Amino acid sequence: MAAFDSISKNKIASGSSAEELKHFNALASSWWDVNGPQRILHKLNLIRMDFIQETIRDHLKLNEGITNSDDEVYIPPYNIDLLPEGVRDTIVREQCARREEILALKKMKVLDIGCGGGILSESMARLSFVESVKGIDLSDEVIVAANLHKAKDPMLKHKLQYKLQSIEEIPKKEKFDVVTLFELLEHVDYPSKVLTEAMSKLKPNGWLFLSTINRDFVSWFTTILMGEHILGIVPVGTHTLSKYINHVEIKNWIASNSEYELVASRGSIYIPSYGWKFTNNENVGNYFMAIRKK
Amino acid sequence: MFRTPFPTTVKLGLLRLKNTTPQLQDVVIVGGGPAGLSVLAALKNSSKTAHLSCKLVEGGDLNKIRNFDETAYSNRIISLTNKSMRFMQKIGSWKHLNLDRMQFYDKVAAYDSSSHEALIEFTNDAINYDPMGAMCEVVNIQKSLIARIDELDQSDCLVDNVKVEAIEESTSEIDWPIVKLSNGDAYQTRLLIGADGYNSPVRRYAGIESRGWAYDSFGTVGVLKLASDQYNLVSLQRFLSSGPLAILPLPEDDATFVWSAKTEVASILKSITNDKIFVALINAALRLEETDLKYALNKLQVNPDDTSVIEDLQWRIELFEPNEQLDIPVVIGVQPGSRASFPLKMSHADSYVGPRVALIGDAAHTIHPLAGQGLNMGQADVASLVAAIETGIDRGLDIGSTLVLEPYFAQCFPYNHALLGVCDKLHKIFSNDVYPIILVRSFGMRFMNSLTPIKDFMIKTLSV
Repeated sequence: MAAFDSISKNKIASGSSAEELKHFNALASSWWDVNGPQRILHKLNLIRMDFIQETIRDHLKLNEGITNSDDEVYIPPYNIDLLPEGVRDTIVREQCARREEILALKKMKVLDIGCGGGILSESMARLSFVESVKGIDLSDEVIVAANLHKAKDPMLKHKLQYKLQSIEEIPKKEKFDVVTLFELLEHVDYPSKVLTEAMSKLKPNGWLFLSTINRDFVSWFTTILMGEHILGIVPVGTHTLSKYINHVEIKNWIASNSEYELVASRGSIYIPSYGWKFTNNENVGNYFMAIRKK
Repeated sequence: MFRTPFPTTVKLGLLRLKNTTPQLQDVVIVGGGPAGLSVLAALKNSSKTAHLSCKLVEGGDLNKIRNFDETAYSNRIISLTNKSMRFMQKIGSWKHLNLDRMQFYDKVAAYDSSSHEALIEFTNDAINYDPMGAMCEVVNIQKSLIARIDELDQSDCLVDNVKVEAIEESTSEIDWPIVKLSNGDAYQTRLLIGADGYNSPVRRYAGIESRGWAYDSFGTVGVLKLASDQYNLVSLQRFLSSGPLAILPLPEDDATFVWSAKTEVASILKSITNDKIFVALINAALRLEETDLKYALNKLQVNPDDTSVIEDLQWRIELFEPNEQLDIPVVIGVQPGSRASFPLKMSHADSYVGPRVALIGDAAHTIHPLAGQGLNMGQADVASLVAAIETGIDRGLDIGSTLVLEPYFAQCFPYNHALLGVCDKLHKIFSNDVYPIILVRSFGMRFMNSLTPIKDFMIKTLSV
């Protein structure tokens, strides 16, 4: 319970109260009730994880370090769908098996910035190729709630730690294989500063995954008009349109920086009673990005 | 001599410990039937889920199943669809099936007792060489799955000869259900899978309602000997007003039958102790008109051992003019002790999933056996549930979460619901001797038999 310490000193242990603990428990259970107020976020987490898995798996070097050409996995230099079904299935199966082999040897360190109640942090910590996850947030309340929920799953005990910390407070030498910045940039005053700080935490070949919202009519309609005022999914005032950042703005900003490259982008849309779905247009509404340090 | 007190104390201490701290598991499966064993084999076969710690709890003795080959045919025989067979190949249990005890068939013929022209036949697609289905003992399927689990070195997951005493909610920080066993052990599990049949204790624990009705009918089953081995590519079904009678092929000249009949008729069938009378009655039920059959049944109701019925039925069968389109097998014997009966019912659970609970197979649905879909629906459940768990693992979710399990329910429920409905309606249409309904249904059967697209659709639904 190391993560508990930073808060417990001033919050829980110091004279506090069953009542306070009750409040945190209520917060944790409302945050974690998949049918409760955060359902849309739980659903969003599904495609966040799909985006992360897909990007990491697609960019594994399947034949790296293999000297004997017989051991190489065949990667056709053309569209695999052109091949007969049986051949295609065999190739796909071999490639999948190799991906699992490579991933099984990885021990990734993950930093989840703005971890909230830990929805993404817990998911990352359960992945077999992740060694440890550090979730940070600036709200002590959510950190306590996240820790309370973490204790419910024994497999998270040694893999996941939460800290009440800002990015700047992370020691300069501490670097990560994966850094995540989900639904965060649209809430901060200086997004470029946050992004720069987050990218500086990457190891070489490390991944930064982020998602945020384009500054356009569709976003205003879905996140502010529908989300806040009509359907009331999130509290009024959660979003400010002027803080939204267009995909192309981040894209150009990354392009001007020779140390990093933008590897993948996907648009996403929420369909009531279905959930979140990827779209092919990252320039409208919500979007995901994967940035890699060279 | 002096040391004896110590071990005793330690032992007692351990026993007490065993009772109080449940062992943590990722998955506990209740029930070692085909559905339960399939889900364990499938989880252990998948590279994504093989690492999950699993236990399967079964009240019976699984070693008896491991050695079933030495015995005569069991009377629990089902029809496997191609889809189920492909799934068994995928999870690696297919190669462990004893194929010598199975029979593939490539034609299904159904005819109506009230009108001989009303005949419908389904034949397999000659180009693909896919069979229509295969008759297989349930115990053969169970054995193949256990063999696969043994082969994967996962025999430790099987906990047999042990009953579930109670399923309780946890009061501790870890909110997983606790399964208490008759041997004193207890498991606390992330995901509890109920493969525990119609009266599913897991379903009751989850508070999931199951709705349906009993059919006032019983299925009578048994193993038959036929006069020749030329029938074994056909699965034959005759719709009698008391319910359908199916003759389903086994290797060589063996066959199995399922006679679904109203309770009144079923109890007559059950009271017949002389197998010769039963054989005569089955031959009659495959051929004669309802009035002739009723006459014999009435006589047997008065005296179940009335052997004069045999001669009487024989005489009537000789007068019978067979439909040239249809070759009806001659039954010459019934395997002693193989006859049994069970009540027929339809039921469907309101949901297959709840927090940390999933229901599969008969725990989720029971169906009228007339289309031979029961076990196959269970196999489809398993395939879908395991796929949902694989996706959940990829997404780093807690596999007991409804976020993981809901897609399984969303995928399987509508299909199962439609199938349950169709079989229920078929039962109601055919278990009937109201003249207008007979007219409409025999017209419907002839009409369907001449319409290739509809038949192809039905073949795809029922066999592929």
